Amino acid sequence: MKKYIFFIATLCLIITSCTLDKTDYEAEINTEVTEYFEFEEALTISSATYKVSIETLNASFFKGYNEIHLKIIDTQTNESVKGLPITFLPILTDANGNKSSCPHLYNLEYNEEEAYYKGYVVFTSESDTTNNWQLYIDLQDEEVNTLNEVITVESQTNMNLNMTAFTGNDDEQYFIALIAPQSPGVSENDLVAGIYKYNQPTTSEGEFPDLSQYSYSKVEGYTLYLDPRMPEPSMGNHSSPNNQDLTQGEDGLYYGVVNYTMTGNWTLNFIFKNENGELIKGTEVSTDFTPGIEGEKSELYIDILF
Amino acid sequence: MNKIIVVISLLLVSWLQAQENTSTPDSLEVVVIVAAKKSKIETDLKMAVSVDEYLASSDNISFIKRGSYAWEPLLNNMSTERSVVTIDGMHLFGACTDKMDPVTSYVESNNLSEVEVKSGQEGSMHGSTVAGSIDLKRRSTPFGLVKKWKGDYQTGFEFNNNQFFNFGNVAYSSDKLVIDGSISSRKAENYNDGNNKEIKHSQYNKFNTSLGLAYKTGDLSSVRVDAIFDKAKDVGYPALPMDLSLSRALITSLAYKQFFEKGLIKVWDTKLYFNTIEHYMDDTTRPENLVHMDMPGWSTTYGFLSKINLKKDNYSSEIQLNAYDNLSIAEMRMYPQDRSERTMFAYSWPWVTTRYAGLSINNSWDITNKSQLNFGGSLGVNYNYSKYVEFNWIFHPGAPQEKTRYLPNLYANYQFHLNNFNASVGGGFGHRAPSVSEGYGYYIYNSFDRYDYIGDPNLENEISYEANVSVGFTYKNGSIQAKANYFYIQNYIIGRILSAGSPMNYQSVGVKGYTSLDYSTLFNFSLQAKYAILENLHWNGTLTYARGLDDNKNNLPFIRPLSYQTSLHFKHHKFGFLTSLNGDVEQINYSPEYGEDRTPSYTNCNISADYTFQIKNKKTVVQIGAENVFNNYYSTYADWGNIPRMGRNFFTSLKINL
Ligand SMILES: [Cu+2]
Repeated sequence: MKKYIFFIATLCLIITSCTLDKTDYEAEINTEVTEYFEFEEALTISSATYKVSIETLNASFFKGYNEIHLKIIDTQTNESVKGLPITFLPILTDANGNKSSCPHLYNLEYNEEEAYYKGYVVFTSESDTTNNWQLYIDLQDEEVNTLNEVITVESQTNMNLNMTAFTGNDDEQYFIALIAPQSPGVSENDLVAGIYKYNQPTTSEGEFPDLSQYSYSKVEGYTLYLDPRMPEPSMGNHSSPNNQDLTQGEDGLYYGVVNYTMTGNWTLNFIFKNENGELIKGTEVSTDFTPGIEGEKSELYIDILF
Repeated sequence: MNKIIVVISLLLVSWLQAQENTSTPDSLEVVVIVAAKKSKIETDLKMAVSVDEYLASSDNISFIKRGSYAWEPLLNNMSTERSVVTIDGMHLFGACTDKMDPVTSYVESNNLSEVEVKSGQEGSMHGSTVAGSIDLKRRSTPFGLVKKWKGDYQTGFEFNNNQFFNFGNVAYSSDKLVIDGSISSRKAENYNDGNNKEIKHSQYNKFNTSLGLAYKTGDLSSVRVDAIFDKAKDVGYPALPMDLSLSRALITSLAYKQFFEKGLIKVWDTKLYFNTIEHYMDDTTRPENLVHMDMPGWSTTYGFLSKINLKKDNYSSEIQLNAYDNLSIAEMRMYPQDRSERTMFAYSWPWVTTRYAGLSINNSWDITNKSQLNFGGSLGVNYNYSKYVEFNWIFHPGAPQEKTRYLPNLYANYQFHLNNFNASVGGGFGHRAPSVSEGYGYYIYNSFDRYDYIGDPNLENEISYEANVSVGFTYKNGSIQAKANYFYIQNYIIGRILSAGSPMNYQSVGVKGYTSLDYSTLFNFSLQAKYAILENLHWNGTLTYARGLDDNKNNLPFIRPLSYQTSLHFKHHKFGFLTSLNGDVEQINYSPEYGEDRTPSYTNCNISADYTFQIKNKKTVVQIGAENVFNNYYSTYADWGNIPRMGRNFFTSLKINL
């Protein structure tokens, strides 16, 4: 009987005693990444007649790609203003007073259903003591109402929304900004990027703001070849299968597929070619498995982490 | 009431019959037995053996060895995915992606009464199979024995690896209540090979205990609760890049048994069961590893089985419904060299559920008193669900998250005996579903061929066509028995190098995906002979041969070369003496594709002696012996990474029946 009691006691111990916990996968893939779905008000600017409210994800402006929604209220009638021609221009002033811009949609599009004006801006740097970003917004009714406001561009903590700016072999300035996935999984992920270029002015700068100096456009019909790898030395230049290079979709953004085989640091190695297959930027990376050696990167790459 | 005792004692007698009983036990009243049974968990050489050592004495079981603990049993030279291994018909599944924990590692020889090995489709009773089935049967004491309390204690020491073990068993039997209890512990240090070189990471430490309580609920009915708890700690796997820090299993069941005095149905047996396994690998013991990884695994199974035995005149039948639900989870977390960096996580088993329900039937018809027909089959439904199917999509985009398969199995076997001659011929057909690793595994590192393996949820069922024959002849003091079987396996699942993807584990050289070959074939042959030279001097010999080929006529891996075993057993009064010789010839038909190389031949010589005496009227046996007497340095075809086997090992043991 003693043995029996001993056994029951042992059993109880076993059943109740704790063991290693299983990983909570959903929490695991969100440890490095916060995903934002809601557009919230980041800024309001008021003029005599209008109140402009700018909404972004998480109510902030970040370095990299920002989708913006503008809601315009007539301060007299307190009603939302529909279908006005609105222009949007971000201007960066550096320590020397030099002004430049970044990829953006100049003429905002009115979305009837949602009753907002939609645009985007790809901030190329964060605001700091010497660099400051200012938004210039023109609303055109009978006359032009110009509003401007200094904003704070914060650093992007989500590396999955990183961006890179570079000069191509054709001496043009290009910008690649990751738009999705915000929170990748160990899976196939639809990879979305915005690719832009600076339209070099042919004339010297006129009176500020001279639009010809701050003109950017979407890059049309290029291909961004993708080779994702883990840079961690112990991963030995590990890569993943079944990735798809990024090509332009109907909305002008670039779409591809990236497979992440595990969480951690990844490098998206790119080779960027124009519609004629001419190399704009990027180098082929080694496909060798080299345990203990940090993976080499293409001259064009973006690091992500999840 | 009396009938139960008769039934149970008949069963008991059948296990207590020493030695392997290969003749058709058609004299057995009650239970249909279609297979050869191994009885008494000890071998000719050693009276205290591990379950592995015990199974190794069976002629159609061989082992992949990754160290000295938890060998992976290969039945008919096929890996564990192709066989069904159960404990009293209950399914359980190891929680290790690297096969460190076959089902047989969660029991100990002292909580088993016998092991039933069925070859091929005859083993489809508990689930669909290709290779056959191994059912580990637990001890269960009958009701109402004259001697109410029984027990035995066994202890021993093995010198090569300083293995010390203690086994204890008690049984209580009254008219109403039966209690079976067992407890055991084994602890071993590293062993030395034939060159007296210590094999690092070959230690183990195992604790196992079991309890069974049976209560008679009526004249002809009883309930029984059983539990096994097994814990292995600090187990080294010298052939693998990782060891085991802890593995625990809790195996429980609740059974109800009803006998019937009249009518067609003789026994109705129903069981509910639950088992849970946790398995934590550990590489902190291997500082030479470039990457530190955590690889925990869990496997939980719920199941149900219900069986009736029918008998009318010369026809008997066994019908069983069995169902289970298993959830297998395995994780891997790699630590970067700069530990402040983010760890890298993935599932090697992305929460894979397997549900199976099957109806099976075994029939035995004594056509005449010289011939018997055994036939039967099963129909199963197998369902898989991968919770994190996105892992599987990386290599198999768009693969279904759920998959249902239908698994039919059929067999027939005709046995015939006339005077000194016996023969049987049979055939079978059956499907099996891919295992969790084959279907859903993700970067499972195989240190044998050094590839990372990827499962494919879209794999077809493996379909086996099988034929078997056996011929035997008995003359005076001798007997000889030849057995052969041939498998033609369609959609044979095996790993093939993938062009896509790159290794994840740093030791790996590439990625292999589980793929179906068109077919492969397997042939197994065994010849067994016995001869009683004198009344107390017995000779025994076994020869086995196997050949496995894929659809390109290339060799399959882990196929045993020609092997032999011979032993001489001498008994004089209270003394017993045994000497045996066993070995494999050179492995010529190896598979370089799967990391095999040519393995030289080896011969092993073992001796043992025992003495039986009484201590205060308690039967006591002491045994001493030596394995690998000549301290040969060798490794076999199935030693993972050519890890050398143990050198000379002296062993002693003592057994007291209380
Ligand atoms: Cu393991």
